[in-house]
Amino acid sequence: MIRILTYIGQWLSDWYAIFVRELKHIFSDSGVLIIFFLAGLAYPALYGIIYSNGTLDDMPVAVVDESGSRTGRKFLRKLDATREVNVSRSCMNMAEAERLMQQREVHGIVLIPSDFEERLASGQQAGVSVYADMSSFIYYKNLTMAVNMVMLDEMHGIQEARLSDAGMGSMADRLIHPIRYVDTMPYNRAMSYSVFFLSAVLLIIIQQTMYFGVSMLSGTMREEHRSFAVMPDRLQGRGISRTVLGRGAAYWLLYMGIGIYVAVLAPRMIGLPQNCPFGDILVLLIFFVSACVVFSFTFSTFIRHRETVFVIFLLMSVVCLFLTGFSWPERSFPAFWRWFSYIFPSTFAVRAFMNMNTGGAGLAMAEPQITALTVQIIVYYILSCVAVFFENRIIAHPESAQYGFSCRPCL
Amino acid sequence: MKFLHNITAVMRRELRLMRQRPVYMLASVGVMTFCMIFFLTLLRDRIPQDLPVGVVDLDESSLSRNFIRQLDATRIGETVGFSSYTEARKALQTGKISSFCVIPEGFYSDVLANRQPELTMYVNTLYFVGGALSYKELLTLANLSSGAVQREVFRAKGMDDNAIMAQIQPIVIDAHNIGNPAADYRAFLCNALIPGVLETIIILVTVYAIGSELKHGTSRHLLEKAGGSMTAAMLGKLIPYTVLFTMIGIICDLILYDRMGFPMAGSIWNMFLGTFLLVLASEAVAFFIVGTLPVLRLSISISALYSMLAFSLAGFSLPVEAMPPYIQGLSAAFPLRHFYLMYVQEGIFGSGFEGWYTQVIALMCFLALPPLVYRRLQKAYIDLNFPRK
Repeated sequence: MIRILTYIGQWLSDWYAIFVRELKHIFSDSGVLIIFFLAGLAYPALYGIIYSNGTLDDMPVAVVDESGSRTGRKFLRKLDATREVNVSRSCMNMAEAERLMQQREVHGIVLIPSDFEERLASGQQAGVSVYADMSSFIYYKNLTMAVNMVMLDEMHGIQEARLSDAGMGSMADRLIHPIRYVDTMPYNRAMSYSVFFLSAVLLIIIQQTMYFGVSMLSGTMREEHRSFAVMPDRLQGRGISRTVLGRGAAYWLLYMGIGIYVAVLAPRMIGLPQNCPFGDILVLLIFFVSACVVFSFTFSTFIRHRETVFVIFLLMSVVCLFLTGFSWPERSFPAFWRWFSYIFPSTFAVRAFMNMNTGGAGLAMAEPQITALTVQIIVYYILSCVAVFFENRIIAHPESAQYGFSCRPCL
Repeated sequence: MKFLHNITAVMRRELRLMRQRPVYMLASVGVMTFCMIFFLTLLRDRIPQDLPVGVVDLDESSLSRNFIRQLDATRIGETVGFSSYTEARKALQTGKISSFCVIPEGFYSDVLANRQPELTMYVNTLYFVGGALSYKELLTLANLSSGAVQREVFRAKGMDDNAIMAQIQPIVIDAHNIGNPAADYRAFLCNALIPGVLETIIILVTVYAIGSELKHGTSRHLLEKAGGSMTAAMLGKLIPYTVLFTMIGIICDLILYDRMGFPMAGSIWNMFLGTFLLVLASEAVAFFIVGTLPVLRLSISISALYSMLAFSLAGFSLPVEAMPPYIQGLSAAFPLRHFYLMYVQEGIFGSGFEGWYTQVIALMCFLALPPLVYRRLQKAYIDLNFPRK
């Protein structure tokens, strides 16, 4: 009994010593502090400013009205009234409009052909030509949406007029709308790009800054011929769990703080929708931050120099962002990349966060993601322990290092 | 002559370093290869196919089944049946489906009796491309099914098919997508992201190459090789990288516009020129960062923060004009922004020199940055008076 108590007491005091030592390392390293605090705190705010308007309202377009007709003008007036588009230039011909688009004065052209009114008057189909600037998908989306909405609206008017001409005026409405429809876009009515992008990027910031910080520190230690995995000597190579958990607790504690800022305060500051109670987000954060800690421990094992982690892995942040499926739907991922995405905690956490924070799904509905994060925590915890074990073998028996692990690429 | 000799001596030293430390090739060729493979294969469908669209069919009539079949037949949608609204809503909230539509009870009989039944559609706007596409698809379908009902009525009245079409859809839209006719999302994204990847690689590797001389205290050895001339040292150091980055960039251009056949309205040779200028401008930015902060650990962190912002501020996802006014100016501080604008002129509009020469000037302006910090870096190289760790 006493032996067990002594063991627990010893375990806790070792754990605490390692925890304090790690915090000291973190706070005495300006590079790591830049990454943790400057990046962790400033990036959400900066992204919030950049993406504060997620939509492009009143995008300038040029119109060419070859018909010069009343119906044509009405069409263009309605177009001008849409939220998406502003008819900023009226051109004499296509050449002029094309030049304006090339000079990026306008991002779309709407052409009403000369026979527009005639064709409508004679009961034929009339065409409207639309030219979209494809340099950004938002230009394309705005123009297509605006023109389609005006087209549908005009169309119904025309149909009504024709039906009443044909003596079917009484049943016009029922004929034009034999089926009515209501569209509901519950979470992001305006399809604001900010909501898509910011919800995904916030948690990526947590994962990436932590990974870079941890790697920088373990790289520094290796440069100084120390190791991130040193254990108290008298343990004789045992005590792996207190090393991993002691170091882990330091990052975990820091990042629960940063995480609450990034996932709860920052969304409030930048005006993202928050449709989920704080408690649920906190539970998600606990799982995500824990997964990030052991993920970072596992993948920082092979970092031999402090700066190389940026040079080689910085662009993984962009890759991780796309792997969350915020833009390109996960359903359309090739199988290989779907499996690859399971490596990163962000893949699951971002999906859960979007569903919960924007979509208002409860914690219970995030069960598949939480389960996946739990599996990651277990697997990466075991791997970080294995890494500590081998590190200590090398420290204890440096001669074996000549054959075994020194062959690792010197990243 | 001596000067040239010094430059070659430094170049030889640099090439040896690149051979000895795999990090240089890994961080440039390795990272670019990975990113090219990633983006080109991840988005290989170009437009998402078969997004799951939920249907709650409370009517279960021949008409509602026909409607579901039509939905299945579109390229975007693949229907998933749900028995209740709650079930479908949960699937929507957890991202399992991108939209769903409720067909009310008595739909068929209401249509027959002219009672105008109502379809309700819910669109998952949590996810960008999927949400926008399924919204468009459902709208089209709702109008098509109204059209189908109208067609039956007009047929019964004895109208011919042309007249019916003109009545159902009096106005048709003839859409032209300038610079990307098929609205290929992959081409759009890669055109902007791959140069961004290149810019990031250049900045990081250049800062690393210049800064590690300070970190390892080898800068005096480098200057010695260069015969004491800082200019020779820097030229000799950067020429191998410039060649390497330009080659990577040109190979990427060739893969995108030649091999993959992405739309290119202008000439690929002009894109080569743009790529070369992007390389020079990014190197100049890197030189400026490491010259201002001659401590590798800090300058590399700052470079990382800077280059990640470039992806947003280049303005290809959210256009710069939609950003707050005081941020708009900031976008000019990124070579990627100018390269992107040049690509728009050349690749989308094919406007040639007249369209993009201002961007060329802007990219060249970045070359004025290194002289500003040249002396400072030289002093740091000679005195090694900055903390190395």
